[in-house]
Amino acid sequence: MSFLRTLIPFDIAGGMKLTGRYFGKVFFSANRKKVRTEIKHFTQEYPEVAVRLQPRFRGRLTLLKDEQGEIKCVCCLACEKICPTQVITIEKGKKEGRKMPFPVRYDFEMERCIFCEFCVESCGFDSIILNHQFELAGYNREDFSLGMEGMAQNMFEPSPVGRHSVAED
Amino acid sequence: MPIQAIPMTLTQTLVMGLLQIVVVLIAVFIMVPLLTFAERKVIGYIQVRLGATRLAGGHVGITGPMNRIMWSMGKVPMLSIVRGLPIFIADALKLITKEDIIPAKADRGVFTLAPIISVMAAFGVFAAVAYYPGVMFYLPKGFPIVGGLPFQGFITDVNVGLLFILGLASVGVYGIVLGAWASNSKYPLLGGLRSAAQIVSYEVPLTLSLLVPVLLAGSLNFKEMSILLATGKGLHPLAIIPLFIGFFVYLTCGFAETNRVPFDLPEAETELVAGFHTEYSGMKFGFFYLAEYANMIVVSALATAFFLGGHYLLPFGLQRFIPETVPFLGQPSFIFFLGKVCFILFVFLWVRATLPRYRYDQLMDVAWKYLLPLTLVNLFIAALIRFAF
Repeated sequence: MSFLRTLIPFDIAGGMKLTGRYFGKVFFSANRKKVRTEIKHFTQEYPEVAVRLQPRFRGRLTLLKDEQGEIKCVCCLACEKICPTQVITIEKGKKEGRKMPFPVRYDFEMERCIFCEFCVESCGFDSIILNHQFELAGYNREDFSLGMEGMAQNMFEPSPVGRHSVAED
Repeated sequence: MPIQAIPMTLTQTLVMGLLQIVVVLIAVFIMVPLLTFAERKVIGYIQVRLGATRLAGGHVGITGPMNRIMWSMGKVPMLSIVRGLPIFIADALKLITKEDIIPAKADRGVFTLAPIISVMAAFGVFAAVAYYPGVMFYLPKGFPIVGGLPFQGFITDVNVGLLFILGLASVGVYGIVLGAWASNSKYPLLGGLRSAAQIVSYEVPLTLSLLVPVLLAGSLNFKEMSILLATGKGLHPLAIIPLFIGFFVYLTCGFAETNRVPFDLPEAETELVAGFHTEYSGMKFGFFYLAEYANMIVVSALATAFFLGGHYLLPFGLQRFIPETVPFLGQPSFIFFLGKVCFILFVFLWVRATLPRYRYDQLMDVAWKYLLPLTLVNLFIAALIRFAF
C-alpha cells in the first residue's frame, strides 16, 4: 500500500483539488455585478470601491445627533477626562428648551489622537463614535483641528479628504 | 489522411516556408505575453486575490483613460477576467527599453551568446511541431508568388521530427550553463550547475516516456504519430494504459525541463538570488524569459500531440469510438489542439500555485529512483502490448 502511495501522488492531487476549488470560486465571482457578500476574493479595489472594514475599526471621532437633530452629548466631560493624550476640549452651554447641558465648543485635535476608543467606551450616553474613515491626511496642521458645525472639517460630517473612497456603484 | 505533394517551384517553397515561420513566430510572440498575463491572473485567483486589474497610476495621466475603461469592464461578468490585459504591453516595453548591463568581469562574447542559444533552441523546436496535420486553408489567388497554394499546419515534415525536437530542446541547457558561467558570479554559476544536473537527469525519463508513443505508433514523424495516436487506428485498446502513465511521467519531466515550479531549483530565489539570470538585465533577460515560456508551449504541444489526442477531441486514442462521420466532434480541428495546449499551460500555472519547491536531493530522487524505473516498466508494458497482442 505504501508502495502505491509513493507511486500515485495522492497528496499532490489533494492539493491541486483544493487550489482548483479556490480558483473556480474566485473565477466565477470576480466581477462586481454580484452582491458584495458573494464575492470570494479578499483584495479590495480600493479607490473605486469603498473598502469593507471590520465593525470594530477605529476611525475618526464623530459626534452623533438624535432623531430630532439634537446633539446627544450632555457635557459630562467623561471623554475629556479619560483621554490619554487630552485631545478633547468641551465647553458647557445652555440652550432654550433643553434640560441637559449643551456643548458650545467640542474641539478635537486629531493630530495627537491615538484612536484608542477610550472616549467612546467612557461615554454613558452613546453620543460619540469612531467612524469607519481612514483617509484622514491633510495639507495643513489646521486640517487636524476639528470643531462644531461651521468649520471646514467638523465633528458631524465625514472628512472631505476621503471622498475618493465613495463607491461609484 | 494522406497528403499528396503539391508541385511548387523553389521560390514558392522558400516563400511559403518563410510565411509559415513568420506566422508561427507571431503566434508564439503573442502567446508568451498572454501566458505571463494568465500566470498573474490564475495565481491571483488561486490565492483568493484578483491579479492584475489596472496599470500603474490611477484615473489621471497617460494611463487614466485605460484604467477607466478597465474599471467599467469590472462590472461585466466575463470581461472582468481580462481587464489588466494591457499590462503585458507595459511588461514588454519595460524589457525592451531597460538598460542592458554587462558585468565588468564577465565574458562578453559568451554572455551575449547564451540568451541567443536559449531562444534559438526554444524557437527552433517549433519547426518540427505539427499544429494540424494537413492543409489549414488555401491562400487567396491574389497573393504574390504563392497565391492559391495550401497553407499547411506544420513548417517542415521531418521524418525524424521527434528526434529533432528532443535534440534541439536539449541544446537549450547550453544557454543556461554558458550564461551562468559567463556571468562570472557565484550565484549564477551555482544555478547553472544545478540546471545542468537537473536537465541531464530529467532528459532520461522524458525521452523514455516519449518512447512509448514512438513504440506504439512505429514512427518518429510528428505528423504520422499524432494522427495515429489520436485516431487509434491499429492500436490495441490496452494501449491506453502505457499512454496514460506516460502522459503523467512526461508532464512531470516537462516541468523539470522547463525549470518550472516545483522543479525551479536553478532559479530558487531564497537560495540563489535569481539563479542563472542574476546578472542579466534588459532584453537579454527577456530572451531567457521568452525561451522559458516558449519551452512551456513546446512541452504542452508535445503532450497534446502524443498523449492527449492532438487535433482530435478525445485523448489516449479514444477517438476510435467516435465515427468520422460525426460532423464536428469526429473531425480533426485546430481548435481542439489549441484548447488542449491551453489546458496544459493552465496546469503549469495551477501546479505553480499549488506545490512547494523540491529540495535538491529529493529532486534527484524523483528522477532516478521513481520516474526512471516507472518509465522502464511502462515501456515494457507498451512493448508487450505492441508485439504480444
